[in-house]
Amino acid sequence: MNHLATSTPSEMAKPGKVRRFFRNLNKYKYLYLLMLPGIIWYFIYKYLPMYGVIIAFKDFNFRQGIWHSPWVGLKHFEFIFTFPDFYRIVRNTIIINIYELLFAFPAAILLALLLNELKSAVFKRSIQTVVYFPHFLSWVIFGGIIIQLLSPGDGLVNQIRQLFGLEPIHFMVESDYFRGIVISSLILKESGWAAIIYLAALSGIDPEQYEAAIIDGASRLQKLFYITLPGIRNTIIIMLILKIGQMLDYGFEQIYVLYNPAVYDVGDILPTYIYRIGLLDAKFSMTAAIGLFQSAIGFFLIWGANRVARRFGDVTIW
Amino acid sequence: MEAKYSIGNFVIGTILVLFAICTFLPFYYVMMASISEPHSVREGQLLLWPKGFDLEAYKIILENDRFISALVTTVTRTVLGLSINLTLSLMLAYGLSKKYLPGRSFFMIYIIITMLFNGGIIPTYLIVRATGLLDTIWALVIPSAISTFNVILLRSFFESIHESLEEAAKIDGANDIYIFTKIYIPLSMAAVVTIGLFIGVFHWNQFMDAVIYIHSPELQVLQIFLRDMIIQMEMATLLGDVGAMNQRTTGLSVRMAAVFLASLPIIVVYPFIQKYFVKGVMLGSVKG
Repeated sequence: MNHLATSTPSEMAKPGKVRRFFRNLNKYKYLYLLMLPGIIWYFIYKYLPMYGVIIAFKDFNFRQGIWHSPWVGLKHFEFIFTFPDFYRIVRNTIIINIYELLFAFPAAILLALLLNELKSAVFKRSIQTVVYFPHFLSWVIFGGIIIQLLSPGDGLVNQIRQLFGLEPIHFMVESDYFRGIVISSLILKESGWAAIIYLAALSGIDPEQYEAAIIDGASRLQKLFYITLPGIRNTIIIMLILKIGQMLDYGFEQIYVLYNPAVYDVGDILPTYIYRIGLLDAKFSMTAAIGLFQSAIGFFLIWGANRVARRFGDVTIW
Repeated sequence: MEAKYSIGNFVIGTILVLFAICTFLPFYYVMMASISEPHSVREGQLLLWPKGFDLEAYKIILENDRFISALVTTVTRTVLGLSINLTLSLMLAYGLSKKYLPGRSFFMIYIIITMLFNGGIIPTYLIVRATGLLDTIWALVIPSAISTFNVILLRSFFESIHESLEEAAKIDGANDIYIFTKIYIPLSMAAVVTIGLFIGVFHWNQFMDAVIYIHSPELQVLQIFLRDMIIQMEMATLLGDVGAMNQRTTGLSVRMAAVFLASLPIIVVYPFIQKYFVKGVMLGSVKG
């Protein structure tokens, strides 16, 4: 039927297309009707904010709204690039992300590899049950407990220090400790959850490879380097590409819970800064410009990482 | 064959047990502190086991009006959020799962683009404000009403259901809405429950939206209440606010009881979630 319709002369094709459009609309009306609320929702809460990004090039005020506020070109970008705070915030964000990449990223892989070595299924399941759990607690709860544990007065860590005759440390207000606390708490809370994807990849490795290696007398380490790691290599690369795309982003909730004015110098990151300066100080246009900068860099990073991965291997995310 | 009890296995087992203990210790501390006698905790005792046994802290927190009001808000947003989120996601995913539907690939791209690009905190805030949601319970429900990831997951699930069921129902004269509600949803209950649990946990734990969109104290969610109670007091101590310092020493076990109560629903649903989530994460990694 379709074939016949498209082969008619071109002057007939247009009304035919329109008619077919309405015929389809009628034929599948219930399906479209089911999708309609979702489609409208995406438009309002996903696409309109994307359009709202234009306030980065305007002097936004509530009276005139997004559309009528005056254009100012690159004024806000020129301002942020000469603004010392901006470089500090970008540096903090990148440093925390690099720490995450160096410590939290491998921790999840290591955890998966260790779990994979366990012979007893019951033991493995018990450990998994425990280490996955904190992922489901909110950062307010988990971060709150961490702060409590590190409290100079009745916190567990400082009580142990005092048992050994050491002075209590005010961990949460010391800039030197802040990033360490952020990454350690991230490892405790999220490694288990992050390990699942590697465990899934590990379970996909053909057991016959291991059996053959055992017959050949391979040691545990040889199996690790010649079978296991190559077997999850692709998963690691994909996770790495995704991570690199987020180098200018970091979990708002975690930092928001853990930080305080005493550690803003090392702990303030782009999302928390945008929230504080943008919403609390009502500098909408300037922080929208920072947000746009952040998304643009993020996009180029992920695109670049993907290109590098394509050049050196066979896995890419698109 | 390798020996089951080698040194290597012992080392691996020990490392894992130690890591598991570290992960669990913070939460264990909460439980211990919450059931201790409030006044013995005050003296700054090591809390590896409870000091006495006393549920006084739970009584105090359950009589706190702000705690109750925050609890009500959180329960409301979780129930509303869960129903709206599931309904919208299921309806959208069902349409997207029909390979014959004209425009299907366009709408797939339409939703996937939003995973790659977003307006950011400030423009989203302005839209939420413009649609009149600010400082209402709907600000906690509507802006997060659909998760693209869940829609894709549900769509894959619907696609795995055999088309012959739909064809047979159509021959019997059923329309799409009937087929969707009476055939596809009952067949997808496992997926619906799994995703529902995740959405529920998300709403229970979420507080960034409350920080950004809610200003009136009577609409504060439980997580914000906890944050004010634990963290701000702790910070006040750290920054040398003596008044707050005296106040806080009265209530370590009370604060920990509040934390435990706020985690209780998560503890209750955790075994159910765990049963499914490995499957969910794997499915997502393949399709996403």
